[in-house]
Amino acid sequence: MALLEVKGVQVKFNGFLALRGLDLKIEAGELRCLIGPNGAGKTTALDVICGKARPSVGEIVFDGHKTSRLDEHRIARLGVGRKFQVPSVFRELTVRENLDVAQSKTAGVFRNLGPRKRHDPALQRLAEFVGLADERDEPAGNLSHGQTQWLEIAMLMAQDSRLILLDEPTAGMTAAETRKTAELCRRLKGQHSLIVVEHDMGFIREIGDVISVMHQGRLLAQGTVAEIEVDPLVKEAYLGSGGISHA
Amino acid sequence: MRQLLLSRAWIAGYALLAIAILAVPVAIDDPYLLNKFARYLIFATLAVALSLSWGYTGILNLGQAVSFGLGSYCMAMALKLKTMPIQTGTGGLPDFMVWNNVPSLPWFWQPFHSIGVAIAAGIAVPVGLALILGWFIFRARVAGVYVSIITLALLVIINLLIIDQQRFTGGFNGLTDLSDLQVMGIDFDPYSAATYYLAAGALILSLIVGLAIINSKTGLIMQAIRDDETRVRYFGYDVAAYQIFALSVSAGISGVAGMLYAVVMAFASPTFLSVQLSLSIVIWCAVGGRASLIGAAIGALLVTGIQGSLSETPIFLNTWLLIMGALFVAVVLLLPKGLISLVQSAITLFSRPVADRTATPVNKTMVG
Ligand SMILES: Nc1ncnc2c1ncn2[C@@H]1O[C@H](COP(=O)(O)OP(=O)(O)OP(=O)(O)O)[C@@H](O)[C@H]1O
Ligand SMILES: [Mg+2]
Repeated sequence: MALLEVKGVQVKFNGFLALRGLDLKIEAGELRCLIGPNGAGKTTALDVICGKARPSVGEIVFDGHKTSRLDEHRIARLGVGRKFQVPSVFRELTVRENLDVAQSKTAGVFRNLGPRKRHDPALQRLAEFVGLADERDEPAGNLSHGQTQWLEIAMLMAQDSRLILLDEPTAGMTAAETRKTAELCRRLKGQHSLIVVEHDMGFIREIGDVISVMHQGRLLAQGTVAEIEVDPLVKEAYLGSGGISHA
Repeated sequence: MRQLLLSRAWIAGYALLAIAILAVPVAIDDPYLLNKFARYLIFATLAVALSLSWGYTGILNLGQAVSFGLGSYCMAMALKLKTMPIQTGTGGLPDFMVWNNVPSLPWFWQPFHSIGVAIAAGIAVPVGLALILGWFIFRARVAGVYVSIITLALLVIINLLIIDQQRFTGGFNGLTDLSDLQVMGIDFDPYSAATYYLAAGALILSLIVGLAIINSKTGLIMQAIRDDETRVRYFGYDVAAYQIFALSVSAGISGVAGMLYAVVMAFASPTFLSVQLSLSIVIWCAVGGRASLIGAAIGALLVTGIQGSLSETPIFLNTWLLIMGALFVAVVLLLPKGLISLVQSAITLFSRPVADRTATPVNKTMVG
């Protein structure tokens, strides 16, 4: 059975249908890219999986649990982690504290009442991995946009979810950083399942597995990069936005 | 390394405050002054409690005087019953009940014959109320200014209720002519050093409890909630549970402060549950630094101390409120993080040169 199944999901915002019957199936260990023109509903698709948006019709099953009615934190505890399109970290907390919050193996109020570990080698390695070792005692609010992106990626790694949802992780990154992110995604797959929303076709080619294309709240096409690029339906959907590679 | 130095500086700061507080009765043996200082310490305890909920968790509870007032009434009820042989009318009733033609002691007064029960209730009642209130507002994801409005409304309602139920609560006058608290053979006369130490102990204990919480992972999650409560949910934490916890701990500490206040003042009245007191606590925290336990405590000591001496100085008789207001506005405008931010920047400044020299090579070896 697939790790995640999105079945005929509809999401309504004040009468506007952002998703109109989305179907999506993600296997354990799979890396899936999600693309589509602006407003296609990609972010909403991730929202509905992690509980930020609720389906008016349809069903979401994660690891055998129906999640459409569960609280956000319950869905997260089942193993769904999320990176938002706008980087959101805890600005008044230091880099190290941000990572500590993200590492949420124990979530209960009373079980977390013991003295906090000041030096966690695993978190230290994560900070080094994303190049924030020297900033570990800086408040996250002082980081640059790029650094904030990396911090949030490190936080997701600290959270260590089975399914990781990345919404435009490379936005605002340099070419070198984008490559590093692509490599990271490849490394994470297998152990984790990933859904990556991206506009950057270079990035998608690099991590390229199965790609799902969304358009107007539905799944339009699915396949490898080569298949997608020649698909007439996809070409049509991207008309006016300058073609798939410039989306 | 720098962190170590920083935390040492803070430990020294807390120790210094504790020693200073405990040394006061050694230096002063004017009972009137001791009583006044004990009151300030209780206010500081209240500020520490608000710092936990507002400064660390982002819950601006404008109804904190409810916890304080309920605590004070719990203590006052027990002390009132202790005065019975002298004060009472027929059948062993508190005087005001006799005047209000209450035939016999109401059931909810009965358990307060025991000081132990009264002390337990002084904590349990505010905590229980906070649990219920917290459950309703935080499960419903009420946030920000709406939390303040609801807590303020609750304060007004309970205040009116206490005034209205004069037969059982003493109404406007409250519970007066209380006996001294007597525990384990010690008589806590309001003007004694013993009572001062009780208040000092409560403040120090609240600081220790507060420090233990903010240095735990729970305390870290509370601060993360203050920053961005939605984001915390997606890491798998039950935000409402953490908010309810913060509110309840804060209420418990306030309840203890209220009990001691009844002992120190030898009465309890609806003014203990006033909007004015609730707002004063906010001012103390804002002046001292709401996101610092010691800052909040010092803020309360400073503001109430200055207020006390100004209002008692004849030349400021008409202007002291104005002066206090001006001081408050100046601090909040110039130092949004309170007076403690001055200390914070000083410590950072002094620890930097030493730390940089030692810390940099350590970093290099760890990275390389
Ligand atoms: N909270 C909301 N309220 C109302 N409409 C919304 C809301 N969120 C999204 N929408 C609408 O739903 C549609 C899908 O939005 P969504 O953010 O999912 O698109 P997207 O594919 O992520 O686009 P982009 O590439 O620009 O990020 C858009 O038309 C958007 O305006
Ligand atoms: Mg989007």
